[in-house]
Amino acid sequence: MDTLSYLAPLFHVDVLWTIAMGTLGGLVIGALPGLTATMGVALLIPLTFSMTPVMGLNMLIGIYIGGIYGGCVSSILLRTPGTPASAATVLDGYPLAQKGQAGKALGMATIASTIGGLIAAVVLATLAPQLASVALEFGAPEYFALALFGLTIIASLSGDILKGAISGLLGILISCVGADPISGVMRYTFGINGFASGFAFTPALIGLFALSEVFTQLERLTVKDDNIIAHVSGRWPTLQEMKESTSALIRGSIIGTFIGIVPGTGSGTASWISYNEARRTSKTPEKFGTGYIPGVAATESANNAVCAAALIPLLALGVPGDVVTAVLMGGLMIQGLAPGPMLFQTNPDVVVGIFGGTFIATIFMFIFGMALIPLFSKILKVPRRMLTISIVIFCFIGSFSINLNQVDLLTMVGFGVLGWGMQKYGFSQAALCIALILGPMMESNLRRGLLQTGDNVIEFVSGPITLLFIGLTILSLAWPFISQARLKSKRTANPTE
Amino acid sequence: MKKSLLTLSVAVAAVMAAGTVSAADFPARPIQVVVPYSAGGSTDLSLRVFADTFEKNFEGKQMVIRNQPGGGGGIGTSAVAHGRPDGYTIGAAAQGPIAIKPHIGGTDYGVEDFNYVGLFARSLQLLVACKDAPFNDYDSFIEYAKANKPQVGNSGAGGANQISAEAFAEAAGIKIESIPFEGSSKARTACIGGHIHAMVASPAEAKAAADSGQMVPIFVMEDKRIDLFPDTPTAVEKGVDFTWSSWKGIVAPKTVQGETLEYLRAAVQKIATDPAFIKKMTDMGEFVTYEDAATFEARVKKDSEVSKKVLEDLGMLGMNK
Repeated sequence: MDTLSYLAPLFHVDVLWTIAMGTLGGLVIGALPGLTATMGVALLIPLTFSMTPVMGLNMLIGIYIGGIYGGCVSSILLRTPGTPASAATVLDGYPLAQKGQAGKALGMATIASTIGGLIAAVVLATLAPQLASVALEFGAPEYFALALFGLTIIASLSGDILKGAISGLLGILISCVGADPISGVMRYTFGINGFASGFAFTPALIGLFALSEVFTQLERLTVKDDNIIAHVSGRWPTLQEMKESTSALIRGSIIGTFIGIVPGTGSGTASWISYNEARRTSKTPEKFGTGYIPGVAATESANNAVCAAALIPLLALGVPGDVVTAVLMGGLMIQGLAPGPMLFQTNPDVVVGIFGGTFIATIFMFIFGMALIPLFSKILKVPRRMLTISIVIFCFIGSFSINLNQVDLLTMVGFGVLGWGMQKYGFSQAALCIALILGPMMESNLRRGLLQTGDNVIEFVSGPITLLFIGLTILSLAWPFISQARLKSKRTANPTE
Repeated sequence: MKKSLLTLSVAVAAVMAAGTVSAADFPARPIQVVVPYSAGGSTDLSLRVFADTFEKNFEGKQMVIRNQPGGGGGIGTSAVAHGRPDGYTIGAAAQGPIAIKPHIGGTDYGVEDFNYVGLFARSLQLLVACKDAPFNDYDSFIEYAKANKPQVGNSGAGGANQISAEAFAEAAGIKIESIPFEGSSKARTACIGGHIHAMVASPAEAKAAADSGQMVPIFVMEDKRIDLFPDTPTAVEKGVDFTWSSWKGIVAPKTVQGETLEYLRAAVQKIATDPAFIKKMTDMGEFVTYEDAATFEARVKKDSEVSKKVLEDLGMLGMNK
């Protein structure tokens, strides 16, 4: 068997060791706010110069997989998304930690990441070329419709629909700052060159979720004395909790795989859509957002599924699925390998090696994740006052280290104040975050698509995939009314109920 | 005559000796190279290989990469223009932020505000036809463009790709519709998916795609055909006076002078001619070539002039001032 002989080099001790170290390194990088998986991969590319392609690339993939997973740690424990991919995990992960169930939340996040990663890896190994060609069907109108559908999450995520809509629109407005994607004209930068590419995303997220929480804590600290979370639960979820999470896990993995295949969407989008789907189909949607295990399962399975799935268009077509895979593509080219349909023919050993490495890295991620949970959870034993100070320091260091741009610090503090105000008056920070992710994608694709069709709206929306997503958007918005109407008609038909 | 030659060579040796002395103390700490883009792009990766080669060639000396992305490269490039005169802050010279952006506005520097240290690579460019395009070679492309506006994807509004495509259109007397994307990888995805007609690509990315039938090379933007595409014509041989390439080099703040500047210039030359460096860069699809400070500066200024003209015709001159 050819395939088996290609897999053999993976099981050399030095290759396994490299993958393990890559995964562990990625995990730490991901867990630290402001250090993203992209940076980890890019910074370590020079190390791979002297390695064989399979060894070097799998180390990078290990960092990638570990990094996306690691983001959940600080999301759950500190309400600080370690990477944008884990922003949605804050919603249920942090309340769980506050209830003393940090261990369990981290445990579920680890299990979910592993399952998501493995499902996507199976898809990668079996269906890569076929699925990749579907991804190519996505042109500007299709991306626009997908983003539009994504935005309907805002309606269902925010309890108060009016406040949710306001938060969402505010997010879209904020995402207009910076250079216009089509003409290049500066918008709302007030002559500050640092805002030329808009507000930097990660500093904005750190401010929105982490610094705002610090402000909220400060308000509380002045009134009440220190509250240490004395009890930290074990790391394994109960059988009952696993059962409740099964559908969220499977659905999250599939959504993550699909979103990962479509180039240029990314794990942030996937985890929000997955969270929303889990909540929408749940029998107890009201429990989401209060510290509910399936909420964590949904987001973490989706964002790790994206990792392996984003490799599909990269390997099969030479088209990177997200930012990290774009950097990985650089890594491949340094090794003298050109990603694309020919890679399967010219270097099957590398392709199979990467497939195998993805599985191995996911398994290492599970082992390290589970082993480190007790250590991570110790953070919660630190007195709140001291923890708050270190979070503030981390917010600043993390925001600055990404672009070394002082303006990003202003962004972080500004979003911190905004997030605190929103939280205080019941506006959804999640809605703002989703709009920040999807707003630019929607705008640039709408503009680009109309430019290409000569402003012909009918032609713009005529594609089957576009129509499908627009249909889903309408359905998703109308669903609450339909189900209410059905309930009403049932009641009138059945007055005794 | 002979004597004067001897004096000259002694003088040269003395200068060189002085150079080595100062070279011994100049980089007493790591030299920072500002890359005005995020980690992982082609400029970043090239500079990482560059820094790696520097440390191998100059024992005990260190060079570190500092990524300062944002504003289409304008933020990091501005940091170089305003860097300290000590020579420890130098920058990756990129075409977009140095030759093009100052004309659009929103930068606090101009093409005159740098000391050009040296060029170590040129990024050759091709125009390629995308999937399902209504043309498949130079002549059919021009024929099509006479009646229609072909949609040509680029890596961003006002970026180098847009300028080169528009500059060609002007030289060839055709009209195109530029479709901007957020970065070249998105343009590439749209091209392979058949959502645009053509795009500007590097030989490395075009090679793999052309071999598998995803893209068809139309013409090379050089004055002679290139080894990787021996069958693809140049615009010059088709009678259009047009060449364009992007470049990778090193610039220093204007205030860096004297021996420090000479040291840096010598370092670029040494690295650009190191066979190990050439090999690694060639594998990455870069075309390694060395140009000294004066040649490099002349090239940048010429590109800057062409860009200014194109931007003026597009109505983008001083747009963000």
